[in-house]
Amino acid sequence: MTVVLLLLSSLCAFGQDTIVVSPNREVLHSSMIGAGWANVLDTYLSPYNYKGTDFRIQRETQRMTTLWNGRVSNQSLIDVNACVNENHVGNIDEYAGGIRYSQGWFYNFADGNIVNPVERSASRWNFAAGLAASGYLGVVYIDRSGNNPAQAKADIMMDATAMATYDMRIAGHHYLWRYQFAIPLMGIAFSPNYGQSYYEAFVLGNSDHNVLFAYPGNMPSMRHRLTLDIPIRRYTLRLGYVAQFNQSTFNHLKYHSWTHDLVIGFNKYLYRK
Amino acid sequence: MKKILRFFTFAFSLFTLSAFLLTACVKEDTYDNSRRGNFEALWKAMDEHYCFFSYKRQQLGVDWDEVHTRYASQVNEDMNSTQLFEVLCNMIAELQDGHVNLSSPFDYGRNWSFFEDHPENYNDSIARLYLGHNYQIASGLKYIILDDNIGYVRCETFEDGIGDGNVSVMLNSLALCNGLIIDVRGNGGGQLTKAQTLASHFTNERRLIGYISHKTGKGRNDFSKPDAQYLDPASDGVRWQKPVVVLTNRAVFSAANDFVKCMKQCPNVTIMGDQTGGGSGMPFNSELPNGWTVRYSAVVLYDRDMQHTEFGIAPDIQLSLSGTDLAQHKDTYIEAARKFLVE
Repeated sequence: MTVVLLLLSSLCAFGQDTIVVSPNREVLHSSMIGAGWANVLDTYLSPYNYKGTDFRIQRETQRMTTLWNGRVSNQSLIDVNACVNENHVGNIDEYAGGIRYSQGWFYNFADGNIVNPVERSASRWNFAAGLAASGYLGVVYIDRSGNNPAQAKADIMMDATAMATYDMRIAGHHYLWRYQFAIPLMGIAFSPNYGQSYYEAFVLGNSDHNVLFAYPGNMPSMRHRLTLDIPIRRYTLRLGYVAQFNQSTFNHLKYHSWTHDLVIGFNKYLYRK
Repeated sequence: MKKILRFFTFAFSLFTLSAFLLTACVKEDTYDNSRRGNFEALWKAMDEHYCFFSYKRQQLGVDWDEVHTRYASQVNEDMNSTQLFEVLCNMIAELQDGHVNLSSPFDYGRNWSFFEDHPENYNDSIARLYLGHNYQIASGLKYIILDDNIGYVRCETFEDGIGDGNVSVMLNSLALCNGLIIDVRGNGGGQLTKAQTLASHFTNERRLIGYISHKTGKGRNDFSKPDAQYLDPASDGVRWQKPVVVLTNRAVFSAANDFVKCMKQCPNVTIMGDQTGGGSGMPFNSELPNGWTVRYSAVVLYDRDMQHTEFGIAPDIQLSLSGTDLAQHKDTYIEAARKFLVE
């Protein structure tokens, strides 16, 4: 592992041009793509787990703000996934996916700077925690006829989220580990009622407990991300692992989407004038 | 190195704890892919989702618990797939519901007694003589003007994408006719919205056509409060103002049954023929551990008097196809409708 990291970094020594800048004007952009495994259950469609391949794209922007004496950072995250699954017999296909957009605000503990800890923090450890507002739109579609071939997913949630970074130094190079998790705390979510058809909900306009208060009791979900940033000139290669456990039990309907993705992408630090 | 380990310990602990708590949470109990497992899975899927248990008990004396007892004794692990399929199909056939089906790679389980046990009252060869060769087709609707200036529309299915534009073009072409025959015999259904799109061209005002109710839980009597279902007049295009006859037989099912239900509430409309086949439950699908697909009625559609139309809608004028007419290459239904409209 160490040898690989050194080889990657030897493409160019870590040693970006140092400019005297205000820390709260820095922006971190990160783009990642990845693939992995998916396990989806939606009892509105089928009582069985569908398993397959997941594809994920994430686009993230982080920046320090001037709030709370510059201790608050902001993160905007666009997270898109799509998976192709099949039942355990292999005779029915399922397509699922969605897009989540979140805006989070983090309090950076101690003298931390979670956006660019390598350059801006004295400590090799940095912690930040806060809240994020997130919205999700998604769909689960099973490839068979009938009046319940698909299920729409939507929620607007307030998430508790936290981040930790560790600046690992090997032979003078900085390798930044970054771990983040988010837990939906409360919000509203859409679900049809137990046996309600979409014809009733959307053609006739008959609502029946379709917009529900969501909290960890009926939506016990969590999202994790672990990444390793490897600096290469002005850019940084990012390798990571994204695990998401999105679940709900609304109107006696059970849903889970468990995904594990290995991701790869690039970071770029910019300075806002 | 210690600090790296601390970081990973922190991350891994959080991940493991949350993963354990969460993945243990939302799962569904399922049956294994054994003969017994598939039997129980089918019985349970129906038990938790089927919407006509109380009605079928009242009408047919079907006790779903007793059905389980009776058929469970017929299942054993030595059966082959065909034998298991036969037992499962016999079990769901007890419900006498054309929307209850079991689909396997080698057969389609059904109870189609709603039309197979009755005269067909339709002869395609004879009916096609009325259309001839010069009929027009608007999104599956075949139409022509008969010799006595009566418009004839053959509607075989609601699977096609019938839109207001299609219907308006057709009605415009038939505008000079003295009356209209809509022949839905043998129409096994399709999309409810398409059936209602067609019916919406025969009313000038909003009409109560029935009520709709869905299950709200696994209990056999867990239902939502019935919501009124209205037929709104077509906002775009032509609305027909002259007399209409709708021809029905026992094979008019599902969305076509709902079309007849709608038309029955429209002015100047007479239903002629045989009772429709019914099928007033909106079907959902599920599956068994071995991958066979099961279909079942999940949402109840009542008529405007809160009565079921699961076993069909009676016509205003009862007809039977006459052997004498057939011998003369005449369709009793169409001839009766023409006479009714001309008079």
